[in-house]
Amino acid sequence: MQKQSVFTRYIIPLLLLLVGVGFVVYGVTDGEAGAVLRKAVAICMECIGIG
Amino acid sequence: MKKLLLSLFGLDEASLQDPANIVGIVLTFAVWALVLALFLVLLFKKRFQIHRWGNKVWQRTKLLIQTGWFLLTNSFMIGWVKGTIYQGSLKYVCVPGMNCYSCPGAFGACPIGALQAVLDEFDVSKSWFDPASGTYIQAPLYWFAFYVIGFLMIVGALCGRLICGLLCPFGWIQDLLYKIPVKKLKLPRDEKRINGMKHPGTVRFFLGVDKYLRYAKYAFLVVMVIFLPLVVKANPWFCKYVCPSGMLLGGIPLMSRNEGLRDAAGQLTLLKLSIMTFTVVLSMFLYRPFCRYICPLGAIYSLFNPVSLYKYGIDDSKCNRCKGCYACANACPMGVDPVKTPNSPECIRCGTCNATCPQKAIHAGFKMKTVEGNAIRTHKHK
Ligand code: SF4
Ligand code: SF4
Repeated sequence: MQKQSVFTRYIIPLLLLLVGVGFVVYGVTDGEAGAVLRKAVAICMECIGIG
Repeated sequence: MKKLLLSLFGLDEASLQDPANIVGIVLTFAVWALVLALFLVLLFKKRFQIHRWGNKVWQRTKLLIQTGWFLLTNSFMIGWVKGTIYQGSLKYVCVPGMNCYSCPGAFGACPIGALQAVLDEFDVSKSWFDPASGTYIQAPLYWFAFYVIGFLMIVGALCGRLICGLLCPFGWIQDLLYKIPVKKLKLPRDEKRINGMKHPGTVRFFLGVDKYLRYAKYAFLVVMVIFLPLVVKANPWFCKYVCPSGMLLGGIPLMSRNEGLRDAAGQLTLLKLSIMTFTVVLSMFLYRPFCRYICPLGAIYSLFNPVSLYKYGIDDSKCNRCKGCYACANACPMGVDPVKTPNSPECIRCGTCNATCPQKAIHAGFKMKTVEGNAIRTHKHK
């Protein structure tokens, strides 16, 4: 049976996690979270099928 | 304290004059307390031992978790009562599952809606009117949605499609619909021969259709969630032309309480209502059709299944496959064979196989070895 390595089991997901955290921090500083909030606090006409 | 409360609920001082708002706030706290108590009981009284519980108890527990999560994240009672939506700052944050932010109870932002909202933004200073085509050309403000993609990477790297199995409101609704007792469309295992017999031609045909249709969710993700909002702009395309969750959790409750919205309904409403009705009806017969073929969020998480920290794995020393046991593969509602591919992109980590295995050979978690010291295989069976 093929042996499992600690690298694929733990290191890859942890690296992805770190990159994810970096992206979130960058996104927040770039104002993307504001764009999300602006869209989310108004009734989304497209979502509810009015357009 | 009062200020904090008001900002948490996105209300102002004057809105406290309305008794409906006070009742809504109290109800929200009551729901939160109930759900937190439920989660604590689940966590501490019966420790998570799916193997020991068996499938019947696990299915009930799973439904409790799904219901609890839906209530926790969709308990803005003022919205449900008045037909409005939550406008407080919790909406900066995405929830992990498919949960329309125009649902009257929603406290968080839907990640798929949020992804389109960011990509749909345009840079006014770089946009211009093109007289040749008579259109306004809009340059994207963000070429990449770092905030939302980063959030999805964190969730995906932690647990992959475990979110689909346990924490997605639209997945939960489909699970409930599938409980309606009608004849189910369940395809047999996707294997050339079962007990030496080939599948009949029609079964082979539907197995093929099912297999290729599952790629459609990646097409929805790339075309309707990323490409069209980024390049063509003007619309969150997936939300507008496809998403049945938005219609079911947002459109219907809001329109039923709001005359102005009802009056504004038109052809698009009809289209979305038809898609929603089709999905709802199909979900009674086929297990989670939206998750199998359409959901772009499931498509994103599915890419993380093989590389997430939380994984499914097989203790090959216990597994009875060599003696012809297919209990897990036959029980899997998504048509996955966990022994062959324990972390298949199609697996929603619902735990059914885990609870069904008579040998207790399936493991879910973060470890590489069982308590007995046996290796847990998380990669494909060669
Ligand atoms: S596939 Fe989509 S709708 Fe289904 S459970 Fe996953 S996120 Fe939810
Ligand atoms: S393989 Fe197991 S956990 Fe995955 S969908 Fe099938 S039954 Fe659920």
